[in-house]
Amino acid sequence: MKRTSKPIQLLSSKSALLNYSFLIGCLFFAIAGKAQQNTLTAIGNVSGAPADMRQSELKAVLMGETQRWKNGKRIIIALMKTNTALGKTTSLKIYDMSGDELNKYWLSLVFQGKAQAPVFFTSVSDLQNFVAQNPGAIGIIDKPMASADVRAVMIDGKPSF
Amino acid sequence: MKIKLLLTICVCFFLAARSFAQATQIKGFVDVTAGYNKKTTFGFGEQDLFITSAISDRISFLGETVFKYDAEEHSEFTISVERVIITYNLFGNHNLVMGKIHTPLNYWNDTYHHGRVFFPTIDRPLLFSASILPLHTVGVGFEGHDLGKIKFGYNLFVGNGLGSSEVADNDKGKCITAAFHIKPVNRLKIGMSYYYDVVSAGADVHDIHYDHQINQHLISASIARFGKKLELLTEATAGLNHTDSTGTKNTLAAYAYAGYKIKEKYVPYVRYDNISYQSGEMYYKGKNVQSFVAGFRYEINYLAVVKLEYQHIENTNAADVDKVTAQFAIGF
Repeated sequence: MKRTSKPIQLLSSKSALLNYSFLIGCLFFAIAGKAQQNTLTAIGNVSGAPADMRQSELKAVLMGETQRWKNGKRIIIALMKTNTALGKTTSLKIYDMSGDELNKYWLSLVFQGKAQAPVFFTSVSDLQNFVAQNPGAIGIIDKPMASADVRAVMIDGKPSF
Repeated sequence: MKIKLLLTICVCFFLAARSFAQATQIKGFVDVTAGYNKKTTFGFGEQDLFITSAISDRISFLGETVFKYDAEEHSEFTISVERVIITYNLFGNHNLVMGKIHTPLNYWNDTYHHGRVFFPTIDRPLLFSASILPLHTVGVGFEGHDLGKIKFGYNLFVGNGLGSSEVADNDKGKCITAAFHIKPVNRLKIGMSYYYDVVSAGADVHDIHYDHQINQHLISASIARFGKKLELLTEATAGLNHTDSTGTKNTLAAYAYAGYKIKEKYVPYVRYDNISYQSGEMYYKGKNVQSFVAGFRYEINYLAVVKLEYQHIENTNAADVDKVTAQFAIGF
């Protein structure tokens, strides 16, 4: 049986340690990346959406159960498409539904004449622009942003949830 | 006075509609079927087109038109305008609704109606196919939804009654619909409704001529629970039809559906239907019937669903029916 010398054993265990460290590092960044993706932020057009909302109020708005803001403006919902990573997170975290369930939910509501469908986007910047240009609009993105026409809506006192 | 009121309403609508970018969408449903009942048959169902349009910040429109097979037509097809709804949002979740609507009497009629891709089973329950309910009403009313913690909703509607055409009433009487529902927890809806109408003597309803006046009361209740795994839906309608000669006769129509999601896309299900007519019932002219359905639904995605179903129907004074049907329903 072939025996490995001590220095070579030490070298190979060091290399294994480096490999493991690299793998653990990758895993950490992957989890960190995913955690970041799991964080959502609500943004709203300054004309309509309030600066603060409770999570239950946000859910009622995004489910089409609340259809007007307190100032009477019609609520327009802007969401990322359910086949995007952010759209999947939105479906799961806010609606407790899969992407297909969410699409079916809205198609059904629109078919019943109970609500206007949300506007779906493939890019966050398009969604932000839409919210900026449409009074009464509210949208869900991944990180807080604000501009002259858009405000980050605090949910339960936090900028992200 | 009436002209002033009409002018005021017109001005309000004009003001509400001005300077608004219109958003119009067209969607549709269709299905193809293959069935076996002593022989194999292929066919396709209604082709349903529905249009939604946001006319202004407060006014919206929904139109639904169905193209379907009709053996009596020269072309063998007929066009049926199923819904024409103009909605004016009064405030919050309260709306004024005008036009032709699905009578909001039951869960199924209001929720699925022609959208077969939404149907949990291949066909409507017998409660709807046996003309127990007036499926549509033309008129005006109010509706509200998701009010308060229990998410209370209501529909109050006045319309042309049974025997009327799409454009005019056949008598002075109006039908009245009052429906209420609550959604106390997520994915659960409990509803009750009441419908009253007078079918005038000489009226034709569902191609049947009625010599006597009939006073109709319909009382319905429904429970719908579409959970993550378990799906339950049950509805019952008591129809009380009164004529001077026969007195009041009761009809009870009900069904219960249960499905269980094995995975997100696979749902085996069962449904039981029963309709019992009291002896001497003059309006419905139906025979007691019960049906058992067992099937399997595969939801490819939210716009494409395949169902395979076995149905056993037991009719009084008629032979039992056993059939197997497969359906591919899509939304587009």
